[in-house]
Amino acid sequence: MLGANKLFLAVATGLVLAAAPGAAHAAEQGVTADSIAIGAFGPITGPAAYIGLAGRDGAAMAIKEINAAGGINGRKLNMTFEDDGHSPARALAAVKKLVDDDKVFVLFNVAGSNGTIGTIDYVKEKGIVMYVSFASAPGVTWPFAKNLFRGGTTEVPRYGELYAEYIVDGMKAKRIGILSGREEYPKNEGDALTRHLQSWYGIAPVKRAEFNIGDKDFTPQILGLQEANPQVIAFFGNPAEAAIALRQARELGLNKPFFVGTTMVDQGFLNAAGPVAEGVSGFALIPLLPDSSDPAMKAWHAKWSADYPNLPPNRPNIFDVLAYSDMYVLAEAMRHAGNDLTTASLINALENLHDYRVGPIATPRTFTKINHIGNLRLQPMQVKHGEWVQVPWESKRPSDILQRYH
Amino acid sequence: MTWRIASQLALSGLSVGSIYAIVALSLAIPFKASRVLNFAQGELVTLGAYIALVLTSYGLPYAVMVPATLLIAAASGLLIERLVVRPIIGAPEFTLVIATFALGLIIRALIRIHWQDNVFFLPAPYAGPALAVGPLRVNPSYLVIIASTGILTALLVLFFQRTKLGKAMRAVSFDPTAARMMGIRVNTVFGSAWALSAAIGALAGLLLAPVIGINPELGHLIIKALIAAVIGGFGSLGGAIFGGLLLGVLETYTGALFGAALKEIIPFAILIAILLVRPQGLWGATPARV
Amino acid sequence: MRAHRIIIVIVAAFAVAVPILGSSYQIYLVELILINIVAAIGLNLLTGNCGQISLCHASLMAIGAYTTALLTTRFAITYALALPAGVFVTTLLGASLGYPARRLSGLYLALVTLGFLEVVSIAIEEFSDLTGGVRGLKLEKPELAGFPLHTAGLYYFVLAVAIIAIRAGLGLRHSRYGRAFDAVRQSVIVAQALAIPPGRTKLLAFSIAAAFAGLAGGLFTAVVGFIDPTEFDISASLRQITFIAVGGLGSVWGSVIGSVILTLLPEALRGADEYSDVLYGAILLAALVLAPTGIVGLFAPVFRRLGGGKAQLS
Repeated sequence: MLGANKLFLAVATGLVLAAAPGAAHAAEQGVTADSIAIGAFGPITGPAAYIGLAGRDGAAMAIKEINAAGGINGRKLNMTFEDDGHSPARALAAVKKLVDDDKVFVLFNVAGSNGTIGTIDYVKEKGIVMYVSFASAPGVTWPFAKNLFRGGTTEVPRYGELYAEYIVDGMKAKRIGILSGREEYPKNEGDALTRHLQSWYGIAPVKRAEFNIGDKDFTPQILGLQEANPQVIAFFGNPAEAAIALRQARELGLNKPFFVGTTMVDQGFLNAAGPVAEGVSGFALIPLLPDSSDPAMKAWHAKWSADYPNLPPNRPNIFDVLAYSDMYVLAEAMRHAGNDLTTASLINALENLHDYRVGPIATPRTFTKINHIGNLRLQPMQVKHGEWVQVPWESKRPSDILQRYH
Repeated sequence: MTWRIASQLALSGLSVGSIYAIVALSLAIPFKASRVLNFAQGELVTLGAYIALVLTSYGLPYAVMVPATLLIAAASGLLIERLVVRPIIGAPEFTLVIATFALGLIIRALIRIHWQDNVFFLPAPYAGPALAVGPLRVNPSYLVIIASTGILTALLVLFFQRTKLGKAMRAVSFDPTAARMMGIRVNTVFGSAWALSAAIGALAGLLLAPVIGINPELGHLIIKALIAAVIGGFGSLGGAIFGGLLLGVLETYTGALFGAALKEIIPFAILIAILLVRPQGLWGATPARV
Repeated sequence: MRAHRIIIVIVAAFAVAVPILGSSYQIYLVELILINIVAAIGLNLLTGNCGQISLCHASLMAIGAYTTALLTTRFAITYALALPAGVFVTTLLGASLGYPARRLSGLYLALVTLGFLEVVSIAIEEFSDLTGGVRGLKLEKPELAGFPLHTAGLYYFVLAVAIIAIRAGLGLRHSRYGRAFDAVRQSVIVAQALAIPPGRTKLLAFSIAAAFAGLAGGLFTAVVGFIDPTEFDISASLRQITFIAVGGLGSVWGSVIGSVILTLLPEALRGADEYSDVLYGAILLAALVLAPTGIVGLFAPVFRRLGGGKAQLS
């Protein structure tokens, strides 16, 4: 009985494949004459929801615009979005559903690092392209995999390089104190900074203090840092913790400048910290923050507000912008791949992308046959008069990361 | 460690301990009133804080916002008791515990959808720069927290000892059947207990909002509050305060001397130690021997 | 009796057919259900039958998962040995909870288990060189006697283990140990009067629950391939308690039913996007209000009529 079922399925599949339009070979999953199926996933429930919701909304807005302008080579983009609840087990469920049930052509990943790493083996096995917009875990691009690409956020070691260079060369500091949370991303930032201070400048931080997520008091760490007498304090954690730590530091008389991780470089941190945020510097993942008064960003913000009128405060956030820009990168590559859109032609098109960006609101993306890290640039910023403004500083040291791809 | 650092650590420890104390107090009430471990109590604190946020955004002055928040919170507590707790009152104890967990999940998810995980620091008239006590510094908000907690405790002790409703609550928590036989309207008492718990939780949220900020995960403090209540002894209001302060100080010193990892473990080490050695805590009633 | 058997045959046929007819997503879901069944059976024996509250069941699962994972990944030990080793280690550590259980009950015991959970979580994060800490641990595909366990092979293995676990659960439930558990739950004094040592019984209950949890954890590593501490936190423990509360406390089939429904529910709610948590909580609440003794309790009268003689659904 089972044999007859299988025979029927085989014949039916054969008929469908034969009927696929313009197919010199079997049609690619998720691509039809007039549509391309994109599968996206990320956390839209739980504490990381602000990342996935923004990822989804930013990507959806890009798709809407692209479709309105005629689509990609006459094909409309359809996005199916699945929640991963910031759990690796659920992320794997989302990916399996998207690839096997929804039969998408390409995966657009707006999930966190742990969820992403959990799906890598399966995605590699399936051979389908996964474009990772947010996750910074090195496992996406090292070891190298033909079908995995990294877009918006750069790799963790790159943070370390840029932070070290900025603090030593830009802020002219030799004595650096680090205060980092014992959570994946802040810990990575802190470790990367420490490593590159050592390897590039031969400096060790004068004090490395840690705190736990959810800590409400930083007195022990601040007193310890004070004793070590740093010139700059690097803080890696969440905006809520940063706000409390900054306030307590000033209360206890620790008045040295703060350098913060990328999670703090947004409006939410400014709202939480208030006046103590003045003078704080850090790197932004995008050249212009959503609340910037730059005309290009204002125009984008207006478009966004028209599409999403009733959203919570601090939306759009940086993830909205990142996902929007990265979806355009993916679309551009699909456009270059032409009518014969397959995973192979998409990979080829991506690897030939050079300095592409949708506009001044994004950093440019470049991929090569051996390097799938699209972005190595972060934008240095500082809080001036209650707003994050760009700092005219450029990195001069070439990245070590590129050396591993030779 | 210098004298200045040691004193500052003590002061900061008491400050963070005051946070634990007030949340522990809000946890001790439902226990004292109905012997229920309310897994949603953390979310009641969060709910109260967000009610305060909404009222403040409507421009209500602080003196009006506070009682309004407490009233709305109390009404929410009553509603929860009527809609969620009463229908499952006969079921095994676990069912009620899981129901409070489900309730907490709903509240947290709804808050998250509307406000996302932004953190808000509520303005308060007493919030301001740190006060100087010699070379030491203390943020005035903590002083307000500890003062409020003290006054509240005194009021509650009077409530439980002197008022009819308070005495009825104690009777019901001790033995609901006997209480009913004595003519006490047990359902009314349960409703009042939930209303009271919600209001005190809201007060805790209110007091915490200017100093540690509110976000949907505020309810996580309930774990530290539980430990504080265990140290002091469940059922003892003063014990909850003492437990909170002691926990804050111990945590802070551990962090300074041994780093963040040990700081994270020490509350649970204390918890397990106390439960093994003296489960009723310092002032609680001796638990029934198993 | 006949209806009972027919249902089991249908379910069994379905279970066997999954890897043939199902997509990789569907196979994966069923594997997760089976893992949850194993964990839930252990928890139900401890809490539903023996009356001991445990908030640390997820961390016992974590111990099993990390032990198995470390043995296969860092020490290249075959999965066939790593899995039982994980069960063994978890059982030992779980047995340690028997000591506080001797003297505490109810809320106080729950808090001890909470303390245990947090300590395990912190330990995993702290020894990050070994466990990967908060960055998690990515695992190789498991091998059984040199053959990689993959898709259908893995599925049938998990299915087989789950069936054995159900059988073991039923067996324990109806054994003198199961009766001892029930006695201790009802009343320690009565148990003592019946010459049942309450302390040792509780110890046994915690050990058995830990064994099941460790087994579930080991299976989890093979099925998911990636573990991190957040998969085994307090919400995970509470979710496991919902499986048995909704399915039916004290009933092995209740553990099965609860696991099936509550593992599928979040997946079924995917269409609700960001509202899925709200709906999940609401449905859970409704289930508890409508069926306070669990689904099994709701259908017990039905089965009594069908079963003709089976006074209690095991």
